[in-house]
Amino acid sequence: MKQVIKIIAVLTSIGIISGGVLASVSNWANPFIEKNKKEATEKAIFLVQPEAKYYERFDFSDMEVYKVYDYDKELVGYVVVNQGNGFQGPIRVIFGLSKDLQRITAIDVLEQVETPGLGTLITEDDFKNQFKNLLIVPMIEWVKGKPPSKDNEIKAITGATISSKATVQIINDGINKLKKRLNDE
Amino acid sequence: MKKEVNYSNEFLKGLWDINPVFKQVLGMCPVLAVTVSAINGLAMGLATTFVLVFSSLIVSLIRKIVPNQVRIATFIVIISTFVTIVDLVMKAKFPELSKALGPFIPLIVVNCLILGRMEAFASKNSVIRSLLDSTGNGIGFMLALIVLGSIRELLGNRTIFGFQVLPELYTPMLVMILPAGAFLTLGLLMGLSNWYVKKKEQEEIELIFSGYRSATTLNTQTELN
Amino acid sequence: MTVERSDSLNQFELKISPHLHSGWTTKKVMWYVNLSLLPCVISAVIFFGWQQLFIIFTSIFFACGTEALIQKLSKRKISIDDGSAVLTGLLLALTLPPNFSLWATAIGSAFAIGIGKQVFGGLGFNIFNPALVGRAFLQAAFPVQITTWTMPNYSIDSVTLATPLAAFKFDKIITPLSSMLIGNVGGCIGETSGIAILLGGLFLIAVRIVNWRIPLSIIIGVFIFGGIFFLIDPMEYPSPIFHIFAGGFLLGAFFMATDYVTSPVTAKGMYIFGLGIALVLVIIRLFGGLPEGVMYAILFMNAFVPIINRYTLPEPFGLRK
Repeated sequence: MKQVIKIIAVLTSIGIISGGVLASVSNWANPFIEKNKKEATEKAIFLVQPEAKYYERFDFSDMEVYKVYDYDKELVGYVVVNQGNGFQGPIRVIFGLSKDLQRITAIDVLEQVETPGLGTLITEDDFKNQFKNLLIVPMIEWVKGKPPSKDNEIKAITGATISSKATVQIINDGINKLKKRLNDE
Repeated sequence: MKKEVNYSNEFLKGLWDINPVFKQVLGMCPVLAVTVSAINGLAMGLATTFVLVFSSLIVSLIRKIVPNQVRIATFIVIISTFVTIVDLVMKAKFPELSKALGPFIPLIVVNCLILGRMEAFASKNSVIRSLLDSTGNGIGFMLALIVLGSIRELLGNRTIFGFQVLPELYTPMLVMILPAGAFLTLGLLMGLSNWYVKKKEQEEIELIFSGYRSATTLNTQTELN
Repeated sequence: MTVERSDSLNQFELKISPHLHSGWTTKKVMWYVNLSLLPCVISAVIFFGWQQLFIIFTSIFFACGTEALIQKLSKRKISIDDGSAVLTGLLLALTLPPNFSLWATAIGSAFAIGIGKQVFGGLGFNIFNPALVGRAFLQAAFPVQITTWTMPNYSIDSVTLATPLAAFKFDKIITPLSSMLIGNVGGCIGETSGIAILLGGLFLIAVRIVNWRIPLSIIIGVFIFGGIFFLIDPMEYPSPIFHIFAGGFLLGAFFMATDYVTSPVTAKGMYIFGLGIALVLVIIRLFGGLPEGVMYAILFMNAFVPIINRYTLPEPFGLRK
């Protein structure tokens, strides 16, 4: 009986102490973590919408969408965060759209688990810069092994066709969802 | 009777004699998964060492209070407390590194190396010896991770710690930063270390033999005289 | 110590079994297989240019070099004259794309012998086909270079061309059967010419070095599994005939899957092994991310050989259960 009481006492006190320590560390860390998250989002938004000064969360069911405004609080476009399946796992892409939904301003890859050195080339500027000012009507197309000839085409990465294709599909999908929503309104 | 304690050996043994990676073969999940670059290896090694040292300290302090039946549960609570602290601090102060190491930081909780040291050493030895032991093991683990990470980063990406070492002429072998490369590198390094240990042992045996031989010849000579 | 024998016993020669020998030594078999690959080497030179000989020589040289080095270091008898290292090097070279870089060839070849064979203890102890281990390593190490196909007879200029399999997988273009038989299509240097491979393969079957059961069961398997999908939707899935003549199928079926060390020893086991390769191959080719799957199919089934052998052992005569 004495042994049982001892076991309970030791476990309880250890639990209480560790809970207390964790609570205080978490209290200290949470503001930093929130700040990091906010900074990361802001950085990404202003990266894909260079003209933006302010942004506002746009209420959307299954995607993150932001409306962005310039210095005079005038709407300049949208920022969409969409994700889909790549070669080995999900790819999360953020991209900016012009106000009239005709062109992409820029894109960035937020998360990916593609093959190092191949699929990961989608995070490099060589690939991402192709999307700058890209025409998205009727939709983005990709070509392989030759330079793009039309305004709405990008060149897929050699050896990483699937990752390139997935990125294009994720963007097209996000654009379509946004267009549909805006038409409904 | 006072037991003779060799403090420096308590620390040094973790570096090589019972190196967690090459000799105990513990904690293989982080060893194989995060060593795609030297910096990841260093960060993982530091995080593990931190958890190991502080858990050892606490476990060794309370080793006489904890009832034997619940010792594992207690160790796990202590270890996971420190792991959560590391995780939160990294997320707050080093978000980039925390993103790169992904789910492997929380997984330090189940790293056999840590529970192994608690069970085998810290729960039975004094605070000072436990601290030395855990620091040695942690640093041994970290060094192994850095070596593995450097080799893989060098062959798979031309760089070490982000600095380009091999010329552009060298085509990186992608396999080295894929999971297969981790197994290959670890296997070859382990083979190499075993070969070295065996050679050393052989030399020691030879030494003892030759010593014995000269001693016997000396003996016979004295007998003759 | 000598054992005294009575005079009458001295006229008998004492030997342990086996007493009957077919005359086929490992050395002789290996050199026959090397010889039967000659048509493939010739087709490589014809369709991709004489520069491909550099790849072949580099591969063979480093395979033999690695074997000799490791055997010397581990103080074993150096046995590169048995032709098995030459065969590994030759097979590896034939599965590389034209104008593949020579130093990568050397690495792959050294890897094939070092990790694929000698680490396990040398000839007869390896679990996986060494040439394919080297090829798999190169595929993982240099995925871009190893899928850059230059056009037959255009050599040097890097005019890239899709292999018949890639053309079908990504663009649904069917390469005519006649080109695949002759060999003037894109692909690895030794795998494009169906005729050259069949010439060597059938020769090996005729002299009974290669057991006909393995190639036959792979081909039947492809007919069954590939045929099912072809019947479901001929537009979406290629015909079994295409499967057989496209890519490295023939080279794999006749020269890689039939490797003595890494294939089953029993007749029943050989059928299981062959059908398994065909199933994995069809699945990879039709549903995988890669257009070609012969290499992985054979390596995958290699891993099952010990268990296949174990469960297909014939029962000893007269043994009761």
